[in-house]
Amino acid sequence: MKVNVKSWHAVAQWQWDTGNDQDDDPEGDVCGICRVAYEGCCPTCKVPGDDCPLIWGECSHVFHMHCLLKWISTSSSKQQCPMDRRTWVTAERKVGGSKT
Amino acid sequence: MATEALRSQVGKKWQDSFARLNHGEPGISGLMTFSQASAWVLLTDFVRPRDLNDPAPPNEYNMELVKYAFDLVSQCRRLPAMLEAYLDDVRQYFYLIKRDVDQYMEQYETSLDPEIISRLVYRLFKWFNAWLPISDLGQTIRAAYTLDFQTQLFAILPPSFVSGFKAYCASTLPPFDPDVTQRTLSGEIWDIFEILGLLDRYESVIASVGYEHIETYVLSTCTGKWEAAMLPELRNWMSHKIVPWMLMMYARGAATNDDAVAMLASVGSRFDFHMTKTLCDLRTREIFDIIIDFPESAPALEDLKECLQRVDQRAALVKSLRKANHKRLLHPGADTKLILSQYVATIKCMRIIDPPGVLLFKVADPIRRYLRDRPDTIRSIVANLVGDEDTGDSLVDDNEPPQPLHQIEIEDYSDPNWEPEPIDAGPNFRANKHTDVLGTLVSIYDSNDLFIKELQILLAQRLLAITDGNTEKVERERRNIEILKIRFGESALQVCEVMLKDMTDSKRIDGHVQSQMASIVHPTIISKHFWPMLGSDEIIMPGQFQTFQEQYAKEFSTFKPDKRLRWLPHLGAVHLELLLEDRTLEVDVPPLEAAFIELFSEKNVWSIDELMTRVGPISKGAALKALLTWVDKGVLKEEGDGSFKLLEVAETVKPVDPAPIVEEQKPTVFPAQQHQAEQMRVYWKFIEGMLTNLTALPLERIQAMLHFAPGYDQTIEQLSAFMDAARREKLVDVREGLWRLTTKA
Repeated sequence: MKVNVKSWHAVAQWQWDTGNDQDDDPEGDVCGICRVAYEGCCPTCKVPGDDCPLIWGECSHVFHMHCLLKWISTSSSKQQCPMDRRTWVTAERKVGGSKT
Repeated sequence: MATEALRSQVGKKWQDSFARLNHGEPGISGLMTFSQASAWVLLTDFVRPRDLNDPAPPNEYNMELVKYAFDLVSQCRRLPAMLEAYLDDVRQYFYLIKRDVDQYMEQYETSLDPEIISRLVYRLFKWFNAWLPISDLGQTIRAAYTLDFQTQLFAILPPSFVSGFKAYCASTLPPFDPDVTQRTLSGEIWDIFEILGLLDRYESVIASVGYEHIETYVLSTCTGKWEAAMLPELRNWMSHKIVPWMLMMYARGAATNDDAVAMLASVGSRFDFHMTKTLCDLRTREIFDIIIDFPESAPALEDLKECLQRVDQRAALVKSLRKANHKRLLHPGADTKLILSQYVATIKCMRIIDPPGVLLFKVADPIRRYLRDRPDTIRSIVANLVGDEDTGDSLVDDNEPPQPLHQIEIEDYSDPNWEPEPIDAGPNFRANKHTDVLGTLVSIYDSNDLFIKELQILLAQRLLAITDGNTEKVERERRNIEILKIRFGESALQVCEVMLKDMTDSKRIDGHVQSQMASIVHPTIISKHFWPMLGSDEIIMPGQFQTFQEQYAKEFSTFKPDKRLRWLPHLGAVHLELLLEDRTLEVDVPPLEAAFIELFSEKNVWSIDELMTRVGPISKGAALKALLTWVDKGVLKEEGDGSFKLLEVAETVKPVDPAPIVEEQKPTVFPAQQHQAEQMRVYWKFIEGMLTNLTALPLERIQAMLHFAPGYDQTIEQLSAFMDAARREKLVDVREGLWRLTTKA
């Protein structure tokens, strides 16, 4: 017998490629600033995904871009990553385009 | 009996008495000295009642003489005594009438013909007239006589006369059947009735005849007829058929029209009231079925409304409807959908009958309480909101403009048109004049959240069921959500919005991926935090499926470099073509079925356990169901030892025709209850922690402490249910109301 798949209506979830592959946690990782999952959206956004992207730091920390920009724009932030107090440098993404 | 002898005897007697009175004088000169005693004798003889059955001609009296005698008696003030003697005579002779009456009544009792009653009445009238003192004797005597006659008459009339009289009255009424000719109305007999005092005595009987007649007519014409307004027709019937009868009965003496109107005013309104009440009672009894028939039965409701304004039967209506609802609607045998649609119909009907909504409030309360206890009420309402195509009847009228929910109305006392609440409104009465049907349904529950949640689950189910990228269906869902946004508010439905956006995004992404690399996979890519729980039984898709997934995921990551795909392989549907030795099959199957058949292309015989190890953690039931799907399609055959064999060649003799399989969409989305349990799981860590630290706690204490946890909104009942579940899983133990962790062995 041969099985030909004519079409397959599948269902999938999208996930941010945050770099750490051990995504065993079904709840997913959360943004360190707003404590909302990466796949969710920051408090000011309503639609997740491309409309509320992530931002990757050299220090390996990842946040919602909106959350981080808001943090950086406050004077008390001193342009530091809120997690490790190193100066925030946006990482160049390995696959193709960079995220800013 | 009329013998010569008798006649001559009477004649002789007359001559004798005349001679005696005249004292043997020539002419009547003797009468001039007519003595008092003889006057008495003459008069008593004159007025003595005679037997109508006696064929002898009545005695001839010289009227002048009688009159003279009367004057004489009167002058001597012996008139009262004379009257007494006369009435005594009447009483004494009444047995004659009784004999007659008995005879007639006996006839009536055997034949039950009302005609006999009328003959009896005529006969009685004859007696009455025969014994009636001449008018010369003055009104007093006549009145006394009449009264005495009536008293005697009533005393001798047997009980069956009442029913006979009633039957006679009824026979004079216009018959319902047009073929039966109406008894000709003769005013004369009613005059007789009146003279004999029967009308006064039996007035209630006459009225009851009228009432009964009206009642029968209303019941026979109106029962079950709800498509037309009956009230005008009934009024018409009253004025054409009943009023003439009433005229004869109650307004015989009326000289002019105005007189008749005045005389009929009170009795007429009583009859009209009775008619209205009968109709009202009838409709009250039928109200449940009327509501079922709504909107065809709208005219009946209009009737009822008018009736209720005249007859105060509102409480009875509420009682009857509540009782009917309790008996016929609010029981486990009734489908929730049915209850809802009946409730909506009730709302609409009661608005017709009673616009302020007091009746509705009273009737609706038990229904609402009952619905609140039903687990699938929300689901049914929401299913209706999003509009199931298969059921044409929507609870919510599309013509009704959607209105935002939750406008708590504050009474505006400065409004010049302000009206107080209706007088029979209860203390809890809330006039919800402005809310539409949906608003009323949603207000069964205290909060909208449950609806929103259920709505999301339902929407997810429906969206995932859309297979071939059918944009039309997505658009329809979008339209639905837009309408619901007006009701529930923009923010509440934000999640639904994201779900819809995922649908269009998936389509766009798929378009792009397909342009790069044609694939047979067309996934719906969802944002997981915005979709309800989609279950998590992971299946590993074997063989080519795995390859398809990987290829697609790779292409996706090229398109969206910072995103990855995580497949939910148990969802969706696969369109397959099976090339077997002797036949080709094209089927649409769920992924699990597809996975199994893919495995059968590796080898022809598999045991169920082998299959299960290949596809991953699925329940045996699910596996068996998937395999049986193929058995039904004639592709697999179950061997005795729990293994299945591929049929490369179709079995020639099929034991049974494969029954038409209803392809059921597996509910892949958890209902809200499960959702709740899932939420509760989050708090298990807290509970575990506090029980570890404090060893044992009562339920109330756990609940109180959980309130410190962020976002905890469960009731104590929910907590209790959860703890029970945990106990079944042997995680906790309860002793004397104290919960503790089971000590790990």
